[in-house]
Amino acid sequence: MHFSAKKIIGVAALTLIGSSITTSLPDTATSRIVAAANDFLSSLNEKQHQSVLYAFNDEKQRATWSNFPTSFVPRGGIPLKDLTPAQRSAAMALVSAALSAKGFEKVQQIMEGDEVLKATDSGQPARGNNGNPPAPGDRNGPPPGAPAGPPPGQPRNGANRPPFGDPPGGAMFGKDLYYISILGKPSEKDPWMLQFGGHHLALNITIAGDRGILTPTLTGAQPALFTINGKTVRPLGPESDKGLALLNSLDESQKKQAILGFRLADLVLGPGQDGKTIQPEGLKASSMNEQQRAMLIEVISQWAGIIHESAAAVRMAELKADINETWFAWSGPTTAAPGKNISAYYRIQGPHLVIEYAPQTLGGDPSLHVHTMYRDPTNDYGRGLTAK
Amino acid sequence: MKAKLLAAAAILLSLCAAAFAHRLDEYLQATILSVEKDHVQASMRLIPGVAVSSSVIASIDTNGDGVFSKAEQQAYAQRVLRDISITVDGKNASPALISQKFPAIQEIKEGIGEIQIDFTVDLPPGSSQRRIVFENHHQKAISAYLVNCLVPSDPNIRILAQNRNETQSFYQLDYTQLSTGSNSFFSKVWSSLRGWTNSVGVASLFRLGMRHIAEGTDHLLFLLVLLLPAPLLALGSRWAGFAGARRSLFQILKVVTAFTVGHSITLALAALGLVRVPSRPIEVLIALSILLSAIHALRPLFPGREALIAAFFGLIHGLAFAATLEQLGLGRWERVAGILAFNLGIETMQLIVVAATIPSLVLMSRTRAYPFLRIGGALFAGVASLGWIAERLLGVHNPVDVLVNSVAQHGVWIAVGLFLLSIVCWRYPSSLVYERNEIPRPNTKMRISDIPTATTIQA
Repeated sequence: MHFSAKKIIGVAALTLIGSSITTSLPDTATSRIVAAANDFLSSLNEKQHQSVLYAFNDEKQRATWSNFPTSFVPRGGIPLKDLTPAQRSAAMALVSAALSAKGFEKVQQIMEGDEVLKATDSGQPARGNNGNPPAPGDRNGPPPGAPAGPPPGQPRNGANRPPFGDPPGGAMFGKDLYYISILGKPSEKDPWMLQFGGHHLALNITIAGDRGILTPTLTGAQPALFTINGKTVRPLGPESDKGLALLNSLDESQKKQAILGFRLADLVLGPGQDGKTIQPEGLKASSMNEQQRAMLIEVISQWAGIIHESAAAVRMAELKADINETWFAWSGPTTAAPGKNISAYYRIQGPHLVIEYAPQTLGGDPSLHVHTMYRDPTNDYGRGLTAK
Repeated sequence: MKAKLLAAAAILLSLCAAAFAHRLDEYLQATILSVEKDHVQASMRLIPGVAVSSSVIASIDTNGDGVFSKAEQQAYAQRVLRDISITVDGKNASPALISQKFPAIQEIKEGIGEIQIDFTVDLPPGSSQRRIVFENHHQKAISAYLVNCLVPSDPNIRILAQNRNETQSFYQLDYTQLSTGSNSFFSKVWSSLRGWTNSVGVASLFRLGMRHIAEGTDHLLFLLVLLLPAPLLALGSRWAGFAGARRSLFQILKVVTAFTVGHSITLALAALGLVRVPSRPIEVLIALSILLSAIHALRPLFPGREALIAAFFGLIHGLAFAATLEQLGLGRWERVAGILAFNLGIETMQLIVVAATIPSLVLMSRTRAYPFLRIGGALFAGVASLGWIAERLLGVHNPVDVLVNSVAQHGVWIAVGLFLLSIVCWRYPSSLVYERNEIPRPNTKMRISDIPTATTIQA
């Protein structure tokens, strides 16, 4: 062994310098999100600034989210269409900083899906009356005269969709119509919120110190299956597949408990139903085996893992600790066509969790249109952490 | 002609736009029930799909003027209530409308309009096993129903089962309810007692009481500073030497008891809602009470009447305790058990603190070192109380609270240190201890003014 004193001192000094550099550069998820938020805010002009910022405790803006297209339920904040390309990429960088890689990909796919909805729609020849009657209020409705049934020759992607023309300017769907808002002041210490959403998407992200809370969050997809550049995309495919895999792993007596004998036409705790805890139903995870519980955790992580990794780790630890008090309930068909989503409803509920996967009949094929909800009734908008 | 076309176009427009948004051909009716001790609260959300919106609108807007008038809203809500049936333990029960909220007609046309109807159903006393059946027949041909119940907030109510038919138009809820179980007086009292202790959480309130006094440094400071001169005799405007162990202990007991009686009275009155005083003046008065007792520790302000002062300010401190209890949002009768537990917690912690400090005070008060402790303690409390008064009365922020709390955090070590110090002072440098003949003793024959001034300690 030939360690000279010089070498040892050198290595020690390097280590010291190295570690002091790494500690002096704050590189936590929160600091990255705050930096991205400040980048985005500083890219805005005064007027944009005003429309993006809200008070942290603005209950009205907190609850202004929905599964509806933005033309029906206007969101707060600023739509991407009102941003320059540079501002827009700063906005998306902020959303990306707050989410995991997988979570951000899911968000992009949901937005992509809405773009498909818009594209297939504007691909339609104008139908009926081309006159543009004044739309009520600020809502841009589609042109009148759309027939009630699917028009012939509609592209595959739109096949499950109700038949509507696009309003002039195409202002009902698409990536342009996702809104970003910030509640409170981006801070590494004090709590603040980032909201990002539009049709079929409502991310409510509360940043409180090193914690990140994603509840309540809505994801949805229509079409829930589309091809883009020859690649088939299912934004909520893993949610569907892993849920079904869990159901299939159950034995007959477990299935009897898990499968509810009645129809669930929609989300029970959708938009506007904050803070409610319903009586759980179905199969309790304490009656599952180790492997089934692991599969349940895997399903849960499809929502809990949307937020950035370090926040997701804290959340998953909490949900794993709750796992024996967590319930799994299913309603509807117990099979799915290969490569397609389920058309069944399922719910996962624990002391700090409600997940609902609710296919929508609108459009004909419920496997192609889904709304999902991810909640913590004890911690809506991070209240459990921020309220004193 | 043109106008007609436009109108037709507008209708079509709204139909098309709406269909996209949400429900198409169903009338979603989602009900959430909340079971309470003596009633069921129900919240219904009714969301007509676009394809069925016109028939729903027509059934609400009965005069067809395009507006949902108050009378039409009321009538429709009552109609919905007529279309549901509720039985409690097999007997018909009638729902009473609480409120209804209607969206604009346009929103219903778009499929995003949500009607909200809240109602309540009284629950007559019954057995502990209860069954509520909720059936919804409203617009059965076009409706999709959802029925759920909330996790009961009353810990005496436990949901056993929920059963529904395939469409959820039929919903049956089975649950158990403690405390309405038996009709005999004894079991009623017993079960409601058990209900109290469960719902109030006697153990947790006891702990809360202990924590409150342990963390509420201002309460303890008042008591301790008031006790500082307790082992001493007052001589005119000065504190004289040791008054004797027996007399000291009796004096201490009197002060502590008086304080306890005082705060118990107002805590009970305020917690029962019989007295209501805003918390700000109370907090200021508490700081003032510390200031007064600090001055009293320096120079006798109210010698021999410490117990009275302790009782008086006890009344004020009790109001502050009640504010803590208030924040827990207990019901009026739950508070009776709550007060008891909470107050016992306060008393226990208070006794622990008194027991930890009094031996030191009594030991030390026989020595010449005691004036330093008494004056030092009084000055500390005086400064703290002035800081609190400034903060609570004038809103002047200062570090007093932080300072006192950081001192209090080391309370155990301070008490231990004080005890060791008092032993050292008492046992060792003999010059610190009064000579036997120097110790002023109470003498029934001797008036206070008769005690020779030479034996007094200059404060």
